[in-house]
Amino acid sequence: MTKSRSGLAAAFPAATELHDPLLEVVDLATSFQTPRGLVRAVDGVSLTLARSRTLGVVGETGSGKTVLIRSIMGLLPRHGVQRSGKVIFAGRDLGALGERDLRRVWGTEMAMVFQDPMTALNPVVRIGRQLTESLRLRAGLDRKAAIETAVALLESVGIASPRERLRSYPHELSGGMRQRVMIAIALACGPKLLLADEPTTGLDVTVQAQVLDVLGTQQAERSMAMILVTHDLGVVATRADSIAVMYAGRVVESASTAVIFDSAKMPYTEALMRSIPRLDAPPGARLAAIPGRPPDLTTVPTGCAFAPRCAYVTERCIHETPPLTESAPGHYHACWNPVGSPEGEQAFSTNLAKGVMAAVEIAQREVRK
Amino acid sequence: MSEQALLSVENLVVDYGRRHRRVQAVSGVSFAVPERQTLGLVGESGSGKSTTGRCVSFVQRPTGGTVRFAGTDLSTLPARELRRARTKLQMVFQDPISSLNPRRKVIDIVAEPLAIWGGVNRKEMMRRAADMLEAVGMDPAVTGNRRPGELSGGQCQRISVARALMLEPALLVCDEPVSALDVSVQAQILNLLTDLKERYGLTMLFIAHDLAVVKATSDRVAVMYLGKLCELGPVEDLYLSPQHPYSAALVDAVPVPDPRRPVAGPPLSGDMPSPADPPSGCRFRTRCPFAQDICAIEEPPLEEIAPGHLVACHFPTSSR
Ligand SMILES: Nc1ncnc2c1ncn2[C@@H]1O[C@H](COP(=O)(O)OP(=O)(O)O)[C@@H](O)[C@H]1O
Ligand SMILES: Nc1ncnc2c1ncn2[C@@H]1O[C@H](COP(=O)(O)OP(=O)(O)O)[C@@H](O)[C@H]1O
Ligand code: SF4
Ligand SMILES: [Mg+2]
Ligand SMILES: [Mg+2]
Repeated sequence: MTKSRSGLAAAFPAATELHDPLLEVVDLATSFQTPRGLVRAVDGVSLTLARSRTLGVVGETGSGKTVLIRSIMGLLPRHGVQRSGKVIFAGRDLGALGERDLRRVWGTEMAMVFQDPMTALNPVVRIGRQLTESLRLRAGLDRKAAIETAVALLESVGIASPRERLRSYPHELSGGMRQRVMIAIALACGPKLLLADEPTTGLDVTVQAQVLDVLGTQQAERSMAMILVTHDLGVVATRADSIAVMYAGRVVESASTAVIFDSAKMPYTEALMRSIPRLDAPPGARLAAIPGRPPDLTTVPTGCAFAPRCAYVTERCIHETPPLTESAPGHYHACWNPVGSPEGEQAFSTNLAKGVMAAVEIAQREVRK
Repeated sequence: MSEQALLSVENLVVDYGRRHRRVQAVSGVSFAVPERQTLGLVGESGSGKSTTGRCVSFVQRPTGGTVRFAGTDLSTLPARELRRARTKLQMVFQDPISSLNPRRKVIDIVAEPLAIWGGVNRKEMMRRAADMLEAVGMDPAVTGNRRPGELSGGQCQRISVARALMLEPALLVCDEPVSALDVSVQAQILNLLTDLKERYGLTMLFIAHDLAVVKATSDRVAVMYLGKLCELGPVEDLYLSPQHPYSAALVDAVPVPDPRRPVAGPPLSGDMPSPADPPSGCRFRTRCPFAQDICAIEEPPLEEIAPGHLVACHFPTSSR
């Protein structure tokens, strides 16, 4: 009996993982009351993340990535917010926890790295104190042990002469160093889950590579799970196990990373992928820009939110909202005319012939290729 | 080549601060850009790209060296002529939102250079501004009366470009015009710049920290590190066979949207040293995996190793 059970587990490793996910987000929705109306920043998102895995959350600015991360953490403004759905973390429903218990989870079990480390670091406190403070408070280390741990942490994120660096103020560090210090602080108490919200946006590509490398190494060493948020699919290509693509507050496609890159079904995912400038592109090749911009989340139209920018758009897309459906095990997409499907091919060629704006842009690039 | 160059920079030096606080941001940089070509200038922050860009567009005076525009050293011109000549050199900045006056309407921002230079009546000014908005892919009727705060980063960058083109410049210096934008929007702006370059016959200096972005727009690339050029060559050569270890690191750092591609070695280690106290010899040696003793002693000169391809390294890739 025991034997057959372990045999089953070996045959279906993914299934066992799913039965014991570290994080389960169920139908999460967060809206803000603003003078312009209700902003539906996160609109029914469900996710699952297994221990020590990485989920990439990808989408353009304004698609609700930060609000999603903050909703998972429970870090939302007190007023003017409507929230629904569930966040189950390590078996506990975070929504049911009081403020005190939630605080205990932050930092020790779940930590966050922000896009702009300056907003999270205290500008007038030396980084050594900022690091040791949380170690003493949360991990209960004495002063000396905290300093030694801080030095080791700085070293592990690739900061040269870490002992001297403890005495630096945040503004004395470069952007990339600040971000690595932020990561060191987030890692200080050994979280099980790290939420990294665009940790490399705005950094040099070389520094981005360093920061991502540090995140990857630390994650592997600590068997930590991570949600890596970015607007650049290229950033998560080699770093995430699975990817969720967000648009207008919703997940519009999700699958394992390989499936996303090999057989994206959602035209938005395909468009995001093609807009990345590549070093190996032929000289003079035109980039495949996505025309227009994401919708204003106060007035998300009915139908598919991507329709006004989509090369595969048909009548149906404008009137009916495509549901998130599972097209293959673990591959979800929300589109009436998926890339590569007969409907998709048909829609694309019709749009091409009609000269529909969005379609034309893509067609021009196809011709030049 | 330098005879027909629209822009030629010789031995550019820029110092900031005084005495012991002195920082040399640019230390003897030379390059030329032929008419209607684009030179990409890449390097990490702090390498002196913006300073170089500002000297090229005469926003800032260098400490030493010369910048020639169409064969003339503009700094020798009398003030009035310099002012007029400067209209031919325009700049677009990284931060699209803060580089625009938040209180003015888009149409007025675009028209402003004409208002300053005069010579046209208001109606004509507005007509030209509207045409230019159209040229950068914006609907003047819809966006003309908005203010920058109401627009996205990409739209603001289009407006910066429109404004920079109002006086029909010959040279456009773009200082990291897409670094602050989403990838999807980056592509829009890069395509736009390519189209405008054709349409208006522009010569460009295109500054970025991402080699892939530079590749999409440039004919040649200059790689800069701590105030000096490491490598200069045709864009294709530079990424296919980067000769300087720093250029190679920049190539490796570009994220490739392919999950099967093996991760390109460990990233560049360490941080850029302070320009106040640059390393002796080759400035890159403290982070270079190939550094030998000689690298600390002798500064490698920028030498031509193939036609039009210059490298400053004691051990360029092809010699290893
Ligand atoms: N505190 C808030 N009050 C009102 N609207 C907000 C607030 N925070 C975010 N939003 C809105 O929610 C939407 C999603 O924002 P965000 O999650 O920051 O997107 P992303 O991180 O993908 O760029 C945006 O339209 C943004 O303006
Ligand atoms: N106005 C200034 N005063 C003093 N130092 C400056 C000034 N502008 C730039 N620097 C310094 O000069 C060096 C090069 O800066 P910059 O030209 O902005 O480089 P990049 O654009 O490549 O990031 C940096 O070390 C920077 O701190
Ligand atoms: S084809 Fe239709 S449903 Fe699919 S992404 Fe385009 S607009 Fe949306
Ligand atoms: Mg965000
Ligand atoms: Mg700069």
